[in-house]
Amino acid sequence: MANKSSDLIQGTLDMLILKTLALESMHGYGIAVRLEQMSKGVFRLNAGSLFVAFQRLQRAGLITTEWKATENSRRAKYYALTTQGRKKLNSETREWGRQVAAIARILEAS
Amino acid sequence: MALLRSAASGLRSLFRKKQVTQELDEELNGYLEMAAEEKMRRGMSREEALRSVRLEQGSHEVTKEVVRAASWESIVETCWQDLRFAARMLLKHPGFTAVAVLTLALGIGANTAIFTMVDTLLFRPLPVRNPHDLTFLAFPRDASHFEPEFSGLEFRQIHDQTRGVFSDVEAMVLGGLSGPASRPDGLTVDAITRPAQPLFVTGNFFQMLGIRPYLGRLILSSEGNIPAGDPVVVLSFRYWKTRFHSDPGVINKIAFINGQPVTIVGVAPRDFLGPTPLVEMEAYLPLGMMTVETGGSTAFLSDVGTRDLIIVARLAPGVSIERANAALAPLGSQLAKQYPRPGVGTALQARHLRPPGLVNGPNPLPALAALFLTLSGLVLALACLNVANLSLVRAAGRQREMAVRAALGGTRPRLIRHLLIETILVALFGAAAGMIVGTFSLRALSSAATVTDLPLVAEFPFNAHVFVYALGIAIVAAVIVGIIPALRVSSGNLSNMLRQGGRSSTARSQRMRTALVAAQVGGSLALLIIAGLFARSLSSAQHSDLGFDPKNILNVALDPGEIGYTQTQGEDFYNQLRSRVRTLPGVQSVSFAAIVPLGDTVQGNDITIPGYTPQRGEQLHADYNALSPEYFKTMKIAVLSGRDFLDSDTASSPRVALINEAMAERFWHGANPIGRNFNRSGDSQHTIEIVGVVRNSRIEDPYSPYSPAFYVPILQSYSSAQTLQIRTAGPPQAIAPEVLAVIRGIAPTAPVLHVRTMTDAVNNGAGGLFLFNLGAELTAALGLLGLTLAVVGIYGVMAYAVGQRTQEIVVRIALGAQRTNILWMISRQGLAIVGSGLVLGLPVALVVGRFVGDFLVGIGPTDPLTYISTSILLSFVALTACYIPAHRATRLDSIVALRYE
Repeated sequence: MANKSSDLIQGTLDMLILKTLALESMHGYGIAVRLEQMSKGVFRLNAGSLFVAFQRLQRAGLITTEWKATENSRRAKYYALTTQGRKKLNSETREWGRQVAAIARILEAS
Repeated sequence: MALLRSAASGLRSLFRKKQVTQELDEELNGYLEMAAEEKMRRGMSREEALRSVRLEQGSHEVTKEVVRAASWESIVETCWQDLRFAARMLLKHPGFTAVAVLTLALGIGANTAIFTMVDTLLFRPLPVRNPHDLTFLAFPRDASHFEPEFSGLEFRQIHDQTRGVFSDVEAMVLGGLSGPASRPDGLTVDAITRPAQPLFVTGNFFQMLGIRPYLGRLILSSEGNIPAGDPVVVLSFRYWKTRFHSDPGVINKIAFINGQPVTIVGVAPRDFLGPTPLVEMEAYLPLGMMTVETGGSTAFLSDVGTRDLIIVARLAPGVSIERANAALAPLGSQLAKQYPRPGVGTALQARHLRPPGLVNGPNPLPALAALFLTLSGLVLALACLNVANLSLVRAAGRQREMAVRAALGGTRPRLIRHLLIETILVALFGAAAGMIVGTFSLRALSSAATVTDLPLVAEFPFNAHVFVYALGIAIVAAVIVGIIPALRVSSGNLSNMLRQGGRSSTARSQRMRTALVAAQVGGSLALLIIAGLFARSLSSAQHSDLGFDPKNILNVALDPGEIGYTQTQGEDFYNQLRSRVRTLPGVQSVSFAAIVPLGDTVQGNDITIPGYTPQRGEQLHADYNALSPEYFKTMKIAVLSGRDFLDSDTASSPRVALINEAMAERFWHGANPIGRNFNRSGDSQHTIEIVGVVRNSRIEDPYSPYSPAFYVPILQSYSSAQTLQIRTAGPPQAIAPEVLAVIRGIAPTAPVLHVRTMTDAVNNGAGGLFLFNLGAELTAALGLLGLTLAVVGIYGVMAYAVGQRTQEIVVRIALGAQRTNILWMISRQGLAIVGSGLVLGLPVALVVGRFVGDFLVGIGPTDPLTYISTSILLSFVALTACYIPAHRATRLDSIVALRYE
């Protein structure tokens, strides 16, 4: 069972989901596939951790949900960014960049 | 905002659980379907794809559980589950649940009742503004007595010269209490007269207290200065409620206090019972209206030697009582010089008004309170021990259940939580039942009032604080004992427990239970011994020689002064009454007395004896009573020498007195006192001649050594309040209706304060056996409670022990053991418990008994008979509790029992 989510730094999953939703609203499976594609197969998430994250983000008001028909005319719950979610994504991305740069500097210093 | 949304969403999933679950289900299904479709596109068959998805994603149900568990509402949900589970488990063991709940209920109920009573009598501050700043002033007499009464002149001076120390200085007079008969005044409305305990106050008294009227108005600051000048009265809430059924129409109505017209102007606040402990004030009047009690005399305001006023003062902001006392010192010496008080200290003191306030002399209440708090605490401890014990017994029986649950994946925290919730549930039920027990006990205590003409504060409303306190103790105790089984399970070896089929009761836990039960036996022995001491003390008081014969006497308390009779009218009334009652059939003798022995009060008088030189510091003091002729015949008190009073002893004839043996012995040392003289202090004109000596009889209480007493004719020392005493041939109550008819015939509106037999007065009077009865009843109730708890404990442990050893016993029987051997084998264990309980209990009883010593009469706190008889009683009851399970063990049918195993 490929569960790489434990390799994700705590909290980064939320950021990645927000990033995935930045362009368009998506359903749960779509988000999972997109994450796997974008990470070139590094992040393969199981449904449990993904849905827990959805629930958390939704309660924090960063995403909203809506039941819609998929392209295959199946009913699915679509997630979309709220304004607040977009703001959060921006600030998280900036913060992430700063941290990565800092870590990189430390690692290169030796 | 986010929190709010989370809460809303959480609540939604709690209350619309089905819909939320469905939604999650659908979403998850969709997810898996899509994943499977993806795989099918890559060429898998549908089955293969679904299987592969399941492998990748894990169980559908587990995923759902993971998502649900991640939210806060899931904790609420599992707690709810646990609660339902706990309730189910408790219902499955109704015996255990009932006993545990009942035990806790008794413990909590008893404690709530006793704490409430103590709180009401001792600790609750007055319901006024800043009650802790209120003080009363007094000169000290000795370590425990003080003189709190001042003349009007002294009051003026203190009022004017303590501006920096006190923000308010007011005066009050407890009406009736300072008079000879200590009876409330009569309050007449619509021609019906009922007693009302009055408090006379200066104008700013209520402003000082900072309280507002319930209805109408209180006394005004302009009122109270002029004698008889402000005829108004304010009623207490309870008096208004009980007598006038809360009728607001009584405001502005004309009433009569002792026959003097006054206007009812208001009703005091609901919870204000007056500034004194124990006695409730029912009518508030301006100080100047004291004339209704003094017959017009204004000595209470202007006479140097008449000290009736109690001074109540509020400490100025920021002034401590120590600073106030330092500032009062010079004023005290000045007053002592101006208005000397022989034998009294000069250090004027401010003392806190409550608690305990105006209780003069040694106050027995704190010691009594401490005793009963200890006893009820012991009962609660026994109750907790009992529940602990029951839980242990049950835990042993549940080891297998725990082991199974642990093996099925119940985590340790979850198991502990389960047991905690169970015990807390038991504690809560116990508390609810305890509230009922407490309420009923308080009702019983409130109605156990002494027979008295004073309005005693004997209402003990349910006290929520106390209840919460007892509940807290019960929960803490329940939690401590409740988690033991859970802790044991997690430390034990699961497979061992499972294999032994739940019969793995360890020696350790058995020892612990035995110790707990032994402690219970010990505690209940201590309670029983205390109860036994009180019962013996009561019986010795009951059998003490009163010196008079209370049987077949009817007491009728009267006070025509309450409808405004003057002395002449009163004497005429009593005279007619005597001659008419005498003619009733069955009447043997008729007499009057100002007070009845063993009642609310005693009258004392300082005396001077010509030719008697007092020793240094000796104060010549004697109790006295005013009587009509035939009193000694009615009471059957022997006149030892000299003569009884005669009808010819009147106000115009020479003053005479009879004295008791104690007085003759004390002041004349065996010489014949007849013909000797003495004077009552404050009355130097009238020298009293002793004309007879009577046998000693009880006056104040049934046990103290006899003190000197003298009796004077009531015509030479008039009291408006008199008790008509009739000795009858038959039962005295039978004559009451005829006597009342006679009284109505003479004076239709004269109030009858009470009608009761002398026996009743002795048994329930404040100075009689009331406290002995109350003490014996309370301790007996607590002792019985302790005994019950101990029996339940012993029975539980023994029954369980027999259950555990069933197999062993049947094997023994099968191998030929005699039934008596089996009986002995089981009983030995019980004997050991009871024996060690006695060893534990006796020293506890000895310690508690030392506190009790002061309240016992006729026996010491180590009375051997009590100790031995209660020990035997307890052993007998406890061994009976052991015998039942032991006997059952010998009746076991081997085949049935073995097959059952």
